[in-house]
Amino acid sequence: MKSTDSPKSLQNTLTNWQVNPTREPAFRGLVWQKIAERRDDAAWIGFLRTHAIPAGGLLALALVVGAWSGHWQARAQAQEQRDALVTDYVHSLDARAMLVQR
Amino acid sequence: MKNLLLTAVLIMAACGLSYGVFYTASRDPKAVREALADRDAMAWLRSDFKLTDAQFAAIKRLHEDYHVECSAHCAAILDAREHHAPAPEIARLEEVCERSMTEHFKKVAALMSPEEGPRYLAVVLPKVADYDHHGAPSLQVRP
Repeated sequence: MKSTDSPKSLQNTLTNWQVNPTREPAFRGLVWQKIAERRDDAAWIGFLRTHAIPAGGLLALALVVGAWSGHWQARAQAQEQRDALVTDYVHSLDARAMLVQR
Repeated sequence: MKNLLLTAVLIMAACGLSYGVFYTASRDPKAVREALADRDAMAWLRSDFKLTDAQFAAIKRLHEDYHVECSAHCAAILDAREHHAPAPEIARLEEVCERSMTEHFKKVAALMSPEEGPRYLAVVLPKVADYDHHGAPSLQVRP
């Protein structure tokens, strides 16, 4: 310590230091709300643990159903568009179809 | 009850997510999708059958040349109909048209890569054959 003022300065600062917290009227309620939220989360995790097999099974089923229907929908949509385009394409080179269009 | 509801929501969200991921992953590449949406046959050929610039130019030329031949077939069939040619004669002309169209598609397929050519033929040839099975639309044209 080079300066001899430092301890005195710190002492003055500590003496004059005043904490003036703002009043939070809902403090108590907020604390209980947080406790309740934690309790709910814990209860849900507990629920999942106790029903792990049905919950896991349903989750797996949901993933499979979602995957299959997503894949099927995309392919069906593409196939429908492709089919229409191929028909147009072939007819554009088909003299018999040209006669129909006349 | 709340736990059950939360679990159901989680499972449904997982289902939706899985649907979205697989829907996106199973779609055609963007260029093919755009060609299909625009109903642009040449762009579809280029993107779906992965044509190089040289292949595309050659196929485009082949199509343009075939259009001339196709118009000649068209004129011949129309002329036969207008002159009330016998049905076997009209059928023969239509068969000539179908055969030349099949040949044309085979020529186009030959310009593609060995993997894409057969796939192209598998897509277009059934449409050529299907034409007759749908009640011969050309019979609708009567002078």
